[in-house]
Amino acid sequence: MNQTLLIAFPKGRLGDELVPKLAGTPLALDTAALKSRVLRIPTATPGVAALLLKGADLPRYVAAGVASLGIVGSDTLDEMDMDLLELADLGFGACRLSLCAKTGVTLEDLRAKPHLRLATKFPKATEAWLSREGLTAELVPLSSSAELAPLLGLADAIVDLVQTGGTLKAHGLVETAVLGRSSARLVAARGAYLSEPGRIRPLADMLLGALKAKA
Amino acid sequence: MPVRTPHFPDLLFGSAARLRRWEGALMGLLADHGYRELHPSLVLREAVPEGALRFFDGDELVALRWDFTVALAGLLARSFPTPPDRVAYAGAVFRRPVQPWEAVERFEVGCERIQPEGEPAAEADVELARMLMAIPGLIGLKSAILHLGNAALVRRPLEAEGLFGELADAVVAALSRRAPHRVREALDGHPSAARLSAHAEALLSELDGPGTLSALESSPYASLLEEERSHMDRALKTLLPILPPNLELRVDLADVAGLGFYTGPTLRLWAPGAQQELAAGGRYDRLFPDLGRPWQAAGFCVRLSRLLDLAATRPDLFEEPR
Repeated sequence: MNQTLLIAFPKGRLGDELVPKLAGTPLALDTAALKSRVLRIPTATPGVAALLLKGADLPRYVAAGVASLGIVGSDTLDEMDMDLLELADLGFGACRLSLCAKTGVTLEDLRAKPHLRLATKFPKATEAWLSREGLTAELVPLSSSAELAPLLGLADAIVDLVQTGGTLKAHGLVETAVLGRSSARLVAARGAYLSEPGRIRPLADMLLGALKAKA
Repeated sequence: MPVRTPHFPDLLFGSAARLRRWEGALMGLLADHGYRELHPSLVLREAVPEGALRFFDGDELVALRWDFTVALAGLLARSFPTPPDRVAYAGAVFRRPVQPWEAVERFEVGCERIQPEGEPAAEADVELARMLMAIPGLIGLKSAILHLGNAALVRRPLEAEGLFGELADAVVAALSRRAPHRVREALDGHPSAARLSAHAEALLSELDGPGTLSALESSPYASLLEEERSHMDRALKTLLPILPPNLELRVDLADVAGLGFYTGPTLRLWAPGAQQELAAGGRYDRLFPDLGRPWQAAGFCVRLSRLLDLAATRPDLFEEPR
Protein backbone atom coordinates (compact mmCIF):
# COMPACT_ATOMS: atom_id res chain seq x y z
CA MET A 1 0.00 0.00 0.00
CA ASN A 2 1.67 3.20 -1.19
CA GLN A 3 0.20 5.84 1.12
CA THR A 4 0.90 9.58 0.99
CA LEU A 5 3.55 10.52 3.52
CA LEU A 6 2.36 13.21 5.92
CA ILE A 7 4.53 15.74 7.72
CA ALA A 8 3.00 17.70 10.60
CA PHE A 9 3.91 21.40 10.45
CA PRO A 10 3.19 23.81 13.29
CA LYS A 11 0.84 26.74 12.99
CA GLY A 12 1.66 30.00 14.74
CA ARG A 13 5.06 31.53 15.46
CA LEU A 14 7.12 28.45 14.59
CA GLY A 15 5.12 27.86 11.41
CA ASP A 16 5.59 31.49 10.38
CA GLU A 17 9.35 30.92 10.54
CA LEU A 18 9.23 27.51 8.89
CA VAL A 19 7.10 28.10 5.79
CA PRO A 20 9.38 30.74 4.17
CA LYS A 21 12.39 28.49 4.82
CA LEU A 22 10.79 25.78 2.68
CA ALA A 23 9.93 28.05 -0.27
CA GLY A 24 11.71 26.86 -3.42
CA THR A 25 12.63 23.48 -1.89
CA PRO A 26 11.10 20.06 -2.66
CA LEU A 27 8.95 20.51 0.44
CA ALA A 28 7.61 23.96 -0.46
CA LEU A 29 3.93 24.19 0.43
CA ASP A 30 1.35 24.83 -2.28
CA THR A 31 0.71 28.55 -1.91
CA ALA A 32 -2.90 28.44 -3.17
CA ALA A 33 -3.77 25.75 -0.62
CA LEU A 34 -1.90 27.68 2.05
CA LYS A 35 -4.12 30.72 1.49
CA SER A 36 -7.27 28.61 1.78
CA ARG A 37 -8.65 27.12 4.98
CA VAL A 38 -7.44 23.66 3.99
CA LEU A 39 -5.32 21.98 6.67
CA ARG A 40 -3.78 19.27 4.48
CA ILE A 41 -1.47 21.02 2.04
CA PRO A 42 0.32 19.39 -0.92
CA THR A 43 4.08 19.95 -1.17
CA ALA A 44 6.26 20.30 -4.26
CA THR A 45 7.05 16.57 -3.96
CA PRO A 46 4.26 14.25 -5.12
CA GLY A 47 3.21 11.78 -2.44
CA VAL A 48 4.23 14.11 0.40
CA ALA A 49 1.70 16.42 2.08
CA ALA A 50 1.79 18.66 5.11
CA LEU A 51 -0.72 18.81 7.95
CA LEU A 52 -1.02 22.21 9.63
CA LEU A 53 -1.55 21.65 13.34
CA LYS A 54 -1.43 23.54 16.60
CA GLY A 55 1.78 22.82 18.49
CA ALA A 56 -0.08 21.26 21.41
CA ASP A 57 -1.82 18.75 19.10
CA LEU A 58 1.05 18.02 16.76
CA PRO A 59 2.95 15.46 18.90
CA ARG A 60 -0.20 13.34 19.21
CA TYR A 61 -0.62 13.11 15.43
CA VAL A 62 3.00 11.99 15.08
CA ALA A 63 3.02 9.63 18.08
CA ALA A 64 -0.08 7.90 16.71
CA GLY A 65 1.67 7.45 13.36
CA VAL A 66 -0.83 9.58 11.42
CA ALA A 67 2.03 11.86 10.36
CA SER A 68 5.42 10.21 9.85
CA LEU A 69 7.40 13.34 10.72
CA GLY A 70 6.71 16.62 12.46
CA ILE A 71 8.32 19.89 13.49
CA VAL A 72 7.57 21.11 16.98
CA GLY A 73 9.14 23.23 19.71
CA SER A 74 11.17 21.35 22.32
CA ASP A 75 9.14 23.16 25.02
CA THR A 76 5.99 21.40 23.79
CA LEU A 77 7.81 18.08 23.51
CA ASP A 78 9.12 18.29 27.07
CA GLU A 79 5.74 19.32 28.40
CA MET A 80 3.84 16.50 26.68
CA ASP A 81 6.52 13.78 26.95
CA MET A 82 5.05 11.74 24.07
CA ASP A 83 6.71 8.60 22.72
CA LEU A 84 8.45 10.23 19.77
CA LEU A 85 11.84 10.06 18.14
CA GLU A 86 13.63 13.41 18.07
CA LEU A 87 15.89 13.28 15.04
CA ALA A 88 17.40 16.76 15.03
CA ASP A 89 17.58 20.14 16.70
CA LEU A 90 16.65 22.43 13.80
CA GLY A 91 18.06 25.51 15.48
CA PHE A 92 15.37 28.00 14.51
CA GLY A 93 12.54 29.21 16.70
CA ALA A 94 14.97 29.66 19.59
CA CYS A 95 13.45 31.06 22.76
CA ARG A 96 13.73 30.89 26.53
CA LEU A 97 11.30 29.49 29.06
CA SER A 98 11.46 32.19 31.70
CA LEU A 99 10.00 33.24 35.01
CA CYS A 100 8.66 36.74 34.46
CA ALA A 101 7.32 39.24 36.97
CA LYS A 102 6.35 42.91 37.11
CA THR A 103 9.26 45.32 36.64
CA GLY A 104 10.97 45.86 40.00
CA VAL A 105 10.05 42.42 41.40
CA THR A 106 13.14 40.22 41.85
CA LEU A 107 13.56 36.46 42.15
CA GLU A 108 14.37 36.98 45.84
CA ASP A 109 11.07 38.83 46.30
CA LEU A 110 9.26 35.87 44.78
CA ARG A 111 11.24 33.38 46.89
CA ALA A 112 10.25 35.28 50.03
CA LYS A 113 6.53 35.03 49.35
CA PRO A 114 4.75 32.69 51.78
CA HIS A 115 2.26 31.74 49.08
CA LEU A 116 3.65 32.05 45.57
CA ARG A 117 1.25 31.82 42.64
CA LEU A 118 2.61 31.19 39.14
CA ALA A 119 0.51 31.25 35.99
CA THR A 120 1.73 29.07 33.13
CA LYS A 121 0.89 26.76 30.28
CA PHE A 122 4.04 24.79 31.10
CA PRO A 123 3.17 23.13 34.45
CA LYS A 124 5.57 20.22 34.03
CA ALA A 125 8.65 22.35 33.32
CA THR A 126 7.60 24.77 36.07
CA GLU A 127 7.19 21.99 38.63
CA ALA A 128 10.61 20.58 37.70
CA TRP A 129 12.23 23.99 38.18
CA LEU A 130 10.43 24.58 41.50
CA SER A 131 11.65 21.20 42.68
CA ARG A 132 15.26 21.99 41.69
CA GLU A 133 15.02 25.36 43.46
CA GLY A 134 13.44 23.86 46.59
CA LEU A 135 10.37 26.09 46.19
CA THR A 136 6.66 25.40 46.35
CA ALA A 137 4.02 27.34 44.47
CA GLU A 138 0.41 27.22 43.43
CA LEU A 139 0.24 26.80 39.66
CA VAL A 140 -2.51 28.62 37.77
CA PRO A 141 -3.04 26.87 34.42
CA LEU A 142 -3.45 29.26 31.46
CA SER A 143 -3.38 28.57 27.76
CA SER A 144 -2.82 32.09 26.38
CA SER A 145 -2.23 35.77 27.25
CA ALA A 146 -0.32 34.82 30.39
CA GLU A 147 1.20 38.31 30.51
CA LEU A 148 -2.08 39.63 31.92
CA ALA A 149 -1.95 37.40 34.99
CA PRO A 150 0.58 39.40 37.10
CA LEU A 151 -0.90 42.72 35.96
CA LEU A 152 -4.42 41.80 37.02
CA GLY A 153 -3.49 39.99 40.23
CA LEU A 154 -4.24 36.44 39.05
CA ALA A 155 -0.66 35.39 39.83
CA ASP A 156 2.58 36.81 41.26
CA ALA A 157 4.53 35.86 38.14
CA ILE A 158 4.33 33.78 34.99
CA VAL A 159 6.43 31.06 33.38
CA ASP A 160 6.27 31.57 29.64
CA LEU A 161 8.26 31.47 26.42
CA VAL A 162 10.26 34.59 25.65
CA GLN A 163 11.75 35.20 22.22
CA THR A 164 12.64 38.91 21.95
CA GLY A 165 11.17 40.19 25.20
CA GLY A 166 9.02 42.75 23.30
CA THR A 167 5.68 41.42 24.59
CA LEU A 168 7.00 41.34 28.15
CA LYS A 169 8.24 44.92 27.90
CA ALA A 170 4.91 46.07 26.47
CA HIS A 171 3.20 44.67 29.57
CA GLY A 172 5.70 46.00 32.08
CA LEU A 173 7.21 42.60 32.85
CA VAL A 174 10.84 41.44 33.14
CA GLU A 175 12.56 38.04 33.16
CA THR A 176 13.71 37.08 36.65
CA ALA A 177 15.03 33.58 35.86
CA VAL A 178 15.59 31.36 32.84
CA LEU A 179 14.18 27.85 33.36
CA GLY A 180 15.28 26.39 30.03
CA ARG A 181 15.75 26.94 26.33
CA SER A 182 13.66 25.79 23.42
CA SER A 183 14.05 25.43 19.66
CA ALA A 184 12.34 23.62 16.78
CA ARG A 185 12.90 19.85 16.65
CA LEU A 186 12.34 17.32 13.89
CA VAL A 187 10.34 14.45 15.35
CA ALA A 188 9.39 11.10 13.88
CA ALA A 189 6.81 8.44 14.67
CA ARG A 190 8.67 5.58 16.34
CA GLY A 191 6.76 2.90 14.46
CA ALA A 192 7.10 4.49 11.02
CA TYR A 193 10.79 5.23 11.51
CA LEU A 194 11.73 1.79 12.80
CA SER A 195 9.49 -0.27 10.54
CA GLU A 196 9.91 1.72 7.32
CA PRO A 197 13.27 3.48 7.51
CA GLY A 198 13.59 3.18 3.72
CA ARG A 199 10.59 5.52 3.33
CA ILE A 200 10.97 7.80 6.34
CA ARG A 201 14.72 8.48 6.48
CA PRO A 202 14.92 9.88 2.94
CA LEU A 203 12.00 12.18 3.79
CA ALA A 204 13.76 13.33 6.97
CA ASP A 205 16.96 13.89 4.98
CA MET A 206 14.97 15.86 2.38
CA LEU A 207 13.52 18.09 5.09
CA LEU A 208 16.88 18.61 6.79
CA GLY A 209 18.48 19.34 3.41
CA ALA A 210 15.78 21.88 2.54
CA LEU A 211 16.22 23.70 5.85
CA LYS A 212 20.01 23.60 5.62
CA ALA A 213 19.94 25.08 2.11
CA LYS A 214 17.93 28.03 3.44
CA ALA A 215 19.98 28.49 6.63
CA MET B 1 -20.82 9.97 34.76
CA PRO B 2 -17.28 8.92 33.74
CA VAL B 3 -16.47 9.65 30.11
CA ARG B 4 -13.35 7.53 30.02
CA THR B 5 -13.58 3.90 30.99
CA PRO B 6 -10.79 1.31 30.81
CA HIS B 7 -10.86 -0.44 27.48
CA PHE B 8 -11.29 -4.21 27.76
CA PRO B 9 -11.56 -5.43 24.16
CA ASP B 10 -14.57 -7.41 22.93
CA LEU B 11 -13.74 -9.62 19.96
CA LEU B 12 -16.34 -10.35 17.29
CA PHE B 13 -16.44 -13.55 15.28
CA GLY B 14 -13.57 -13.00 12.83
CA SER B 15 -11.21 -11.50 15.41
CA ALA B 16 -12.08 -14.13 18.02
CA ALA B 17 -11.40 -16.90 15.51
CA ARG B 18 -8.13 -15.24 14.48
CA LEU B 19 -7.02 -14.96 18.12
CA ARG B 20 -7.69 -18.66 18.76
CA ARG B 21 -6.00 -19.67 15.48
CA TRP B 22 -2.88 -17.61 16.17
CA GLU B 23 -2.73 -18.69 19.81
CA GLY B 24 -2.95 -22.33 18.75
CA ALA B 25 -0.36 -21.98 15.99
CA LEU B 26 2.12 -20.15 18.22
CA MET B 27 1.73 -22.55 21.15
CA GLY B 28 2.17 -25.40 18.64
CA LEU B 29 5.43 -23.87 17.41
CA LEU B 30 6.69 -23.53 20.98
CA ALA B 31 5.62 -27.08 21.87
CA ASP B 32 7.46 -28.39 18.79
CA HIS B 33 10.62 -26.78 20.18
CA GLY B 34 10.19 -28.43 23.57
CA TYR B 35 8.51 -25.53 25.42
CA ARG B 36 5.99 -26.69 28.04
CA GLU B 37 3.06 -24.53 29.07
CA LEU B 38 2.65 -22.95 32.48
CA HIS B 39 -0.42 -20.99 33.47
CA PRO B 40 0.18 -18.67 36.43
CA SER B 41 -2.80 -17.35 38.36
CA LEU B 42 -4.63 -14.34 37.01
CA VAL B 43 -4.56 -12.75 40.46
CA LEU B 44 -1.30 -11.63 42.04
CA ARG B 45 -1.12 -11.83 45.78
CA GLU B 46 2.49 -10.72 46.15
CA ALA B 47 3.72 -7.15 46.16
CA VAL B 48 1.64 -5.15 43.70
CA PRO B 49 3.92 -3.72 41.02
CA GLU B 50 3.65 -0.23 39.60
CA GLY B 51 1.40 -0.16 36.53
CA ALA B 52 -0.67 -3.12 37.73
CA LEU B 53 -4.42 -2.93 37.97
CA ARG B 54 -5.13 -3.10 41.68
CA PHE B 55 -8.27 -3.92 43.55
CA PHE B 56 -9.39 -5.04 46.98
CA ASP B 57 -10.42 -8.59 47.74
CA GLY B 58 -12.10 -8.09 51.10
CA ASP B 59 -9.47 -6.22 53.10
CA GLU B 60 -6.59 -7.44 50.98
CA LEU B 61 -5.02 -5.42 48.18
CA VAL B 62 -4.46 -7.64 45.16
CA ALA B 63 -3.84 -7.08 41.47
CA LEU B 64 -4.50 -8.69 38.13
CA ARG B 65 -1.62 -10.38 36.34
CA TRP B 66 0.12 -7.47 34.60
CA ASP B 67 3.02 -9.33 33.01
CA PHE B 68 3.52 -13.01 32.35
CA THR B 69 7.30 -12.90 32.86
CA VAL B 70 7.10 -11.64 36.42
CA ALA B 71 4.20 -13.95 37.33
CA LEU B 72 5.99 -16.95 35.80
CA ALA B 73 9.25 -16.12 37.54
CA GLY B 74 7.53 -16.09 40.92
CA LEU B 75 5.85 -19.41 40.21
CA LEU B 76 9.05 -21.06 38.96
CA ALA B 77 11.19 -19.75 41.80
CA ARG B 78 8.70 -21.12 44.34
CA SER B 79 8.11 -24.46 42.66
CA PHE B 80 11.47 -25.70 41.33
CA PRO B 81 14.89 -26.23 42.92
CA THR B 82 16.35 -26.42 39.41
CA PRO B 83 14.64 -24.66 36.52
CA PRO B 84 12.60 -26.33 33.79
CA ASP B 85 14.61 -25.15 30.79
CA ARG B 86 11.84 -24.24 28.35
CA VAL B 87 8.46 -22.82 29.37
CA ALA B 88 5.63 -21.24 27.37
CA TYR B 89 2.47 -19.31 28.19
CA ALA B 90 -0.67 -17.91 26.56
CA GLY B 91 -3.40 -15.64 27.88
CA ALA B 92 -4.14 -12.07 28.89
CA VAL B 93 -2.32 -9.50 30.99
CA PHE B 94 -3.93 -6.40 32.46
CA ARG B 95 -1.78 -3.32 32.34
CA ARG B 96 -2.53 0.31 33.09
CA PRO B 97 -2.37 2.01 29.67
CA VAL B 98 0.04 4.84 28.91
CA GLN B 99 -2.28 6.31 26.27
CA PRO B 100 -6.05 6.54 26.81
CA TRP B 101 -6.76 4.68 23.55
CA GLU B 102 -4.73 1.61 24.58
CA ALA B 103 -6.48 -1.49 25.81
CA VAL B 104 -6.14 -2.59 29.43
CA GLU B 105 -6.50 -6.29 28.61
CA ARG B 106 -3.84 -7.57 26.21
CA PHE B 107 -3.50 -11.02 24.74
CA GLU B 108 -0.05 -12.57 24.63
CA VAL B 109 1.81 -15.75 23.78
CA GLY B 110 5.40 -16.13 24.86
CA CYS B 111 8.21 -18.32 26.01
CA GLU B 112 11.18 -18.38 28.32
CA ARG B 113 14.50 -20.22 28.16
CA ILE B 114 16.08 -20.70 31.59
CA GLN B 115 19.54 -21.99 32.46
CA PRO B 116 21.65 -22.35 35.59
CA GLU B 117 23.99 -19.41 36.14
CA GLY B 118 27.26 -19.62 34.25
CA GLU B 119 26.05 -21.82 31.41
CA PRO B 120 26.84 -20.45 27.94
CA ALA B 121 23.83 -18.44 26.79
CA ALA B 122 24.59 -17.72 23.14
CA GLU B 123 22.88 -20.85 21.84
CA ALA B 124 19.69 -20.07 23.77
CA ASP B 125 19.64 -16.52 22.37
CA VAL B 126 19.91 -17.83 18.80
CA GLU B 127 17.23 -20.47 19.49
CA LEU B 128 14.81 -17.72 20.52
CA ALA B 129 15.68 -15.62 17.45
CA ARG B 130 15.08 -18.59 15.16
CA MET B 131 11.65 -19.22 16.66
CA LEU B 132 10.76 -15.54 16.37
CA MET B 133 11.82 -15.65 12.72
CA ALA B 134 9.22 -18.37 12.07
CA ILE B 135 6.34 -16.37 13.52
CA PRO B 136 5.51 -13.97 10.61
CA GLY B 137 5.01 -16.96 8.29
CA LEU B 138 2.95 -18.77 10.91
CA ILE B 139 0.44 -15.95 11.37
CA GLY B 140 0.34 -14.90 7.72
CA LEU B 141 2.28 -11.63 7.84
CA LYS B 142 3.42 -10.92 4.29
CA SER B 143 6.64 -9.27 5.40
CA ALA B 144 8.34 -8.42 8.66
CA ILE B 145 11.50 -6.99 10.16
CA LEU B 146 13.47 -8.48 13.03
CA HIS B 147 15.57 -5.98 14.99
CA LEU B 148 18.54 -7.35 16.90
CA GLY B 149 19.84 -5.17 19.72
CA ASN B 150 21.81 -5.53 22.91
CA ALA B 151 20.95 -3.75 26.16
CA ALA B 152 24.55 -4.11 27.35
CA LEU B 153 25.71 -1.69 24.63
CA VAL B 154 24.23 1.10 26.73
CA ARG B 155 24.27 -0.43 30.18
CA ARG B 156 27.98 -1.29 30.34
CA PRO B 157 29.35 2.15 29.32
CA LEU B 158 26.99 3.85 31.80
CA GLU B 159 28.16 1.52 34.58
CA ALA B 160 31.81 1.95 33.56
CA GLU B 161 31.42 5.73 33.92
CA GLY B 162 29.67 5.34 37.28
CA LEU B 163 26.53 6.92 35.86
CA PHE B 164 23.42 5.88 37.77
CA GLY B 165 20.13 7.43 38.87
CA GLU B 166 18.58 10.49 37.27
CA LEU B 167 21.49 11.32 35.00
CA ALA B 168 21.64 7.78 33.60
CA ASP B 169 17.85 7.90 33.13
CA ALA B 170 18.17 11.17 31.21
CA VAL B 171 20.81 9.64 28.89
CA VAL B 172 18.65 6.57 28.31
CA ALA B 173 15.57 8.73 27.63
CA ALA B 174 17.57 10.75 25.09
CA LEU B 175 18.78 7.57 23.39
CA SER B 176 15.23 6.25 23.35
CA ARG B 177 14.27 9.41 21.45
CA ARG B 178 17.28 8.76 19.18
CA ALA B 179 18.39 12.29 19.91
CA PRO B 180 22.18 12.65 20.27
CA HIS B 181 21.75 16.39 20.89
CA ARG B 182 19.68 15.51 23.98
CA VAL B 183 22.46 13.20 25.21
CA ARG B 184 24.91 16.12 24.97
CA GLU B 185 22.44 18.41 26.78
CA ALA B 186 21.87 15.87 29.57
CA LEU B 187 25.61 15.31 30.13
CA ASP B 188 26.63 18.96 29.87
CA GLY B 189 29.56 19.52 32.26
CA HIS B 190 29.92 15.85 33.28
CA PRO B 191 33.47 14.38 33.04
CA SER B 192 32.27 11.56 30.76
CA ALA B 193 30.21 13.83 28.48
CA ALA B 194 32.52 13.65 25.44
CA ARG B 195 32.94 9.86 25.61
CA LEU B 196 29.28 9.05 26.15
CA SER B 197 28.17 11.55 23.50
CA ALA B 198 30.53 9.94 20.98
CA HIS B 199 29.15 6.53 21.98
CA ALA B 200 25.58 7.75 21.47
CA GLU B 201 26.52 9.04 18.00
CA ALA B 202 27.96 5.60 17.15
CA LEU B 203 24.86 3.76 18.40
CA LEU B 204 22.55 6.06 16.47
CA SER B 205 24.55 6.21 13.27
CA GLU B 206 22.99 3.36 11.30
CA LEU B 207 19.99 1.08 11.13
CA ASP B 208 20.85 -0.77 7.97
CA GLY B 209 21.67 -4.39 8.69
CA PRO B 210 24.90 -6.25 9.31
CA GLY B 211 27.15 -3.29 8.38
CA THR B 212 25.73 -1.44 11.38
CA LEU B 213 27.98 -3.39 13.74
CA SER B 214 31.05 -1.67 12.30
CA ALA B 215 29.66 1.64 13.65
CA LEU B 216 30.72 0.41 17.08
CA GLU B 217 34.37 0.75 16.03
CA SER B 218 34.08 4.53 16.34
CA SER B 219 32.83 4.30 19.93
CA PRO B 220 35.25 5.09 22.79
CA TYR B 221 33.90 1.92 24.42
CA ALA B 222 34.66 -0.33 21.44
CA SER B 223 37.05 -2.56 23.44
CA LEU B 224 34.74 -2.70 26.48
CA LEU B 225 31.96 -3.94 24.19
CA GLU B 226 34.04 -6.40 22.17
CA GLU B 227 32.27 -9.42 23.67
CA GLU B 228 28.80 -8.01 22.87
CA ARG B 229 29.88 -7.14 19.35
CA SER B 230 31.26 -10.61 18.62
CA HIS B 231 28.12 -12.17 20.16
CA MET B 232 25.92 -10.11 17.79
CA ASP B 233 28.23 -10.88 14.89
CA ARG B 234 28.01 -14.63 15.55
CA ALA B 235 24.21 -14.42 15.85
CA LEU B 236 23.99 -12.59 12.52
CA LYS B 237 26.22 -15.14 10.80
CA THR B 238 23.96 -17.92 12.09
CA LEU B 239 20.66 -16.23 11.31
CA LEU B 240 21.28 -14.57 7.95
CA PRO B 241 21.67 -17.82 5.94
CA ILE B 242 18.38 -19.18 7.31
CA LEU B 243 16.40 -15.97 6.97
CA PRO B 244 12.93 -16.79 5.58
CA PRO B 245 11.81 -14.90 2.48
CA ASN B 246 10.00 -11.66 3.33
CA LEU B 247 11.80 -11.31 6.66
CA GLU B 248 14.43 -8.61 6.97
CA LEU B 249 17.08 -8.66 9.68
CA ARG B 250 18.32 -5.34 11.05
CA VAL B 251 20.76 -4.45 13.78
CA ASP B 252 19.47 -1.75 16.10
CA LEU B 253 22.36 -0.67 18.33
CA ALA B 254 20.30 2.03 20.03
CA ASP B 255 17.53 -0.22 21.32
CA VAL B 256 17.10 0.87 24.94
CA ALA B 257 13.44 -0.02 25.44
CA GLY B 258 13.13 -1.98 28.68
CA LEU B 259 16.73 -1.28 29.62
CA GLY B 260 15.89 -1.61 33.31
CA PHE B 261 14.91 -5.22 32.65
CA TYR B 262 17.02 -6.51 29.75
CA THR B 263 20.69 -7.27 30.37
CA GLY B 264 21.89 -8.56 26.97
CA PRO B 265 20.64 -9.31 23.45
CA THR B 266 17.18 -7.99 22.55
CA LEU B 267 14.73 -8.97 19.79
CA ARG B 268 11.89 -6.94 18.31
CA LEU B 269 9.55 -7.89 15.51
CA TRP B 270 7.97 -5.21 13.29
CA ALA B 271 5.82 -5.20 10.18
CA PRO B 272 6.41 -2.49 7.58
CA GLY B 273 3.89 0.22 8.38
CA ALA B 274 3.06 -1.06 11.88
CA GLN B 275 3.09 1.65 14.52
CA GLN B 276 4.09 -0.66 17.35
CA GLU B 277 6.38 -3.66 17.70
CA LEU B 278 4.51 -6.95 17.36
CA ALA B 279 6.80 -9.11 19.46
CA ALA B 280 9.64 -8.31 21.80
CA GLY B 281 12.07 -10.08 24.02
CA GLY B 282 15.64 -10.57 25.06
CA ARG B 283 17.95 -11.66 27.84
CA TYR B 284 17.07 -10.69 31.41
CA ASP B 285 19.60 -12.34 33.68
CA ARG B 286 18.79 -10.34 36.81
CA LEU B 287 15.20 -11.49 37.21
CA PHE B 288 15.74 -14.87 38.93
CA PRO B 289 18.73 -13.85 41.09
CA ASP B 290 16.48 -11.11 42.52
CA LEU B 291 14.07 -13.92 43.51
CA GLY B 292 16.87 -15.90 45.15
CA ARG B 293 17.52 -18.33 42.27
CA PRO B 294 20.92 -18.41 40.48
CA TRP B 295 19.35 -18.82 37.06
CA GLN B 296 19.70 -16.84 33.87
CA ALA B 297 16.82 -16.33 31.47
CA ALA B 298 15.77 -15.02 28.09
CA GLY B 299 12.43 -15.04 26.32
CA PHE B 300 10.02 -13.23 24.08
CA CYS B 301 6.38 -12.33 23.96
CA VAL B 302 4.13 -12.04 20.91
CA ARG B 303 1.66 -9.19 21.34
CA LEU B 304 -1.50 -10.70 19.87
CA SER B 305 -3.67 -7.67 20.67
CA ARG B 306 -1.45 -5.47 18.49
CA LEU B 307 -1.51 -8.09 15.74
CA LEU B 308 -5.31 -8.20 15.90
CA ASP B 309 -5.45 -4.40 15.62
CA LEU B 310 -3.04 -4.49 12.70
CA ALA B 311 -5.07 -7.17 10.91
CA ALA B 312 -8.19 -5.01 11.33
CA THR B 313 -6.59 -1.74 10.16
CA ARG B 314 -4.06 -3.02 7.61
CA PRO B 315 -5.44 -6.29 6.18
CA ASP B 316 -3.17 -5.72 3.16
CA LEU B 317 -0.20 -6.73 5.35
CA PHE B 318 -1.58 -10.25 5.85
CA GLU B 319 -2.11 -13.28 3.64
CA GLU B 320 -5.65 -14.61 3.40
CA PRO B 321 -6.05 -17.38 6.02
CA ARG B 322 -6.00 -20.85 4.50
